[in-house]
Amino acid sequence: MIEVESLSKNYGTFAAVRGLSFTVRPGEVLGLVGPNGAGKTTTLRCLAGIIPASSGTAHIAGHDVAADPVAAKRALAFFPDEPRLFDYLTVRQHLNFVARIYGVANHEQLAQPLLEELEIADKADELPGALSRGMKQKLAIACGLLHAPRVMFFDEPLTGLDPLGIRRMKDSILKRARDGAAIVLSSHLLHLLEEVCSHVLILKKGEKIADGTLAEVAARFSNGEAGVSLEEIFIRATGGSES
Amino acid sequence: MLSALLYLRLTSLKNLLLTRLRRLRQPKYLFGAVVGVAYFWFLFFRRLGAGPSVVVTNVSILGLPATRGSLALLVAPLGALLLLAMITLAWVLPTEKPGLAFTEAEAAFLFPAPLSRRTLIHFKLLGSQFAILFTSLFFTLLSNRWTSLGGNTLTHAVGWWVILSTLNLHAAGAVLTLTRLIDGGVSPALRRVVVFGGMAVLFGTSFAWVWHDLSAAPAAPINGFGPFLLTFLNGGTLHWLLWPFKLVLGPFLAADASSFLLALGPALLILAALYFWVMQMNAAFEEASLGLAEKRAAAIAAWRSGKRFSVRVRPNPPGRRPPFALRGTGRPELAFLWKNLLATHAWLNGRTFRLCAVVIVVGCLWLARHPEWHTQQMMVGGGALIAGGYIMLLGPQIARQDLRSDLVNADVLKTYPLPGWQVVLGELFAPVTILSGLLWLVLLTAGLAFAPHGASAAWLTPGVRVTGGACLALVVPPLVALQLLVPNAAAVLFPGWFHSGRARGGGIDVMGQRLIFGLGQMFVLLLALLPVGLAAVVLVLAFSWLIGLPAAVVLATVAVLTVLMGEVWCGVWLIGERFEKLDLSAELRG
Ligand SMILES: Nc1ncnc2c1ncn2[C@@H]1O[C@H](COP(=O)(O)OP(=O)(O)OP(=O)(O)O)[C@@H](O)[C@H]1O
Ligand SMILES: [Mg+2]
Repeated sequence: MIEVESLSKNYGTFAAVRGLSFTVRPGEVLGLVGPNGAGKTTTLRCLAGIIPASSGTAHIAGHDVAADPVAAKRALAFFPDEPRLFDYLTVRQHLNFVARIYGVANHEQLAQPLLEELEIADKADELPGALSRGMKQKLAIACGLLHAPRVMFFDEPLTGLDPLGIRRMKDSILKRARDGAAIVLSSHLLHLLEEVCSHVLILKKGEKIADGTLAEVAARFSNGEAGVSLEEIFIRATGGSES
Repeated sequence: MLSALLYLRLTSLKNLLLTRLRRLRQPKYLFGAVVGVAYFWFLFFRRLGAGPSVVVTNVSILGLPATRGSLALLVAPLGALLLLAMITLAWVLPTEKPGLAFTEAEAAFLFPAPLSRRTLIHFKLLGSQFAILFTSLFFTLLSNRWTSLGGNTLTHAVGWWVILSTLNLHAAGAVLTLTRLIDGGVSPALRRVVVFGGMAVLFGTSFAWVWHDLSAAPAAPINGFGPFLLTFLNGGTLHWLLWPFKLVLGPFLAADASSFLLALGPALLILAALYFWVMQMNAAFEEASLGLAEKRAAAIAAWRSGKRFSVRVRPNPPGRRPPFALRGTGRPELAFLWKNLLATHAWLNGRTFRLCAVVIVVGCLWLARHPEWHTQQMMVGGGALIAGGYIMLLGPQIARQDLRSDLVNADVLKTYPLPGWQVVLGELFAPVTILSGLLWLVLLTAGLAFAPHGASAAWLTPGVRVTGGACLALVVPPLVALQLLVPNAAAVLFPGWFHSGRARGGGIDVMGQRLIFGLGQMFVLLLALLPVGLAAVVLVLAFSWLIGLPAAVVLATVAVLTVLMGEVWCGVWLIGERFEKLDLSAELRG
């Protein structure tokens, strides 16, 4: 579903992502972790076709992002860390607009349950200016979910949500994975990732340090100990010894 | 404490300059900078044969002799009047508490910091001084060409500094005073009534006074508007009202060094008085609101949680309906039209358009039935044509509900499953619709107003006029689209310039780019129109004797439309390609 082959991204002379390869199959949730500036956002933006990669290829649902971006984008949804909304569209109008862009015929029936699930139904006729940050984020999420994407990229999806929102978000991600979506999400909330992700990929300075299922990665860094937390793995993998 | 603030100002300025300089490494900004610098060079330093002649001619239009003295005579009271107007505006315009403008970062860092309000105001004034110094320099370069004013570069520079600083200090004082007034419950309406009423009384009595004096002494009749204006501004109560403003202008208008020094004293005194007023206001203000710190903390908390932006967004009026019902399926381009129309004024809708059309038709038909109004009818038609020209040239700069205003959302747009050209085309629809609507109204007016009288234009039959009008109306949308392509191409070629809409943009390179695009737009229009227009004329001339004038016009229109549509299509496709490749993250850092 998501196939990435030696993806690299340079900003000028600075290499933000180097030679990254991984695969995410339907039903898998990949947690992208790494210190600040590791290149998580850059990777996700390349995969979503927002910025062109410097080299390497990425296939989304079988379509090459660089060669056939429209087909690839039809299958994906990207949720940025900072919600970007149109200042003059109300919540409902946002969904209406997005529905037309993706050609969702029965969007009215789909929108209402989405808004209710995300608990912003009572704000349906408000402009983004009148929403709190978390609500804006929920609106951005609703816009992304409307066309039932098969591939989803979440950049820090949980920051800014209330505890109930976080729980709902986790459930929602798991449900969509069970329904066959391939999901990549980046987050610093490692204990939450442990509950959601089937796989993890640890990035540092743009390079992959480790990837695999949670158990595989844990085995690699546990030195034989049992029950090592993802947090401990993360610190062992990225911190201290500058290797 | 001030040293920290000075440090903040200076380092920010330095880094701003460095970023700007670094940006010049990209050829497009470098090119813009070269054009900008060249423009200013020609504007300031290349003395045209008779620099001030324009001003002098204007004086003579007013009925004053075109000599040096009369210019200076006129500038002082008129300048004072202008200052008075600007200052009055500062008192009547604000409806809510105006507040001193701090940037978001300044507010976030400085307001919770242990700084007195006085220090904050000093910080604010200090910050404006950087801008004022720069602006003074700029204005000095500009006014250097007005040699007939006398004085030299130095006196002009100091003069501008005095004027700008006075305005700035007054603005700060007015803001603080207004805050206090509003806290004290003085409503904006009352304030406006008092200010405007006071002005009306002052101007009225002054007028009566001068009028009385003039009619009492008919021996010295005053001919012409200019001399009368002078007498009016220099006499009566206005003499006293404008006096302090003339003092402020004094250093700038001083003809030589000694009069400059003489004028500088009173001007600086006024500045000092304003400064004390601002500081005084501050002290009283602090006492008046003890809970201010708390309120501010709450405001900052709200700001941090993102609520702050609710201030800037217009409330969506409950009756605001989308321009049309947008179904889930269909051309996605129309979604952009729908969205961008929602971002404009609510009154820019089909109903207003139809209402205007009805008014125009009724009005013009009424005029046409009254031959004694023939001149007015021609004036309406001419006015419509002039308005049309302006809409054609300036409209694309003003109606910006397209890629230009959506560039901040480029990240979102790029995740949509649309090829670049579809996004660009969709974004163009809203301004094309609005401007075409306006131009159609113009065509309607002109077509109705230029109804031929008499035999001189017998060939201009109603049939020909209707066909011609309809054909022109058809050509209008692609023509407008073609024009809009230039600024939109600029938006994807130079996103740094448009994206900075949220922060403060600018710089000489950007200014140069603006020049280039203004010219570029004219050039594109000419390039698109000249050959097509020529071809159309040839077609009409060649075929009108064969198939009749209306049919020939239709034929020519079809040809013109085909070419224009092809041109627009190429433009949209090219911009779309560029939009797909656009790497905003790289552009904005660079
Ligand atoms: N537009 C840009 N121009 C230059 N460098 C950039 C740009 N965007 C990101 N970088 C650099 O690329 C690196 C990776 O940034 P990225 O935003 O992908 O990190 P991240 O892993 O998402 O970090 P965080 O956890 O803080 O969100 C950083 O070193 C950053 O400084
Ligand atoms: Mg990030």
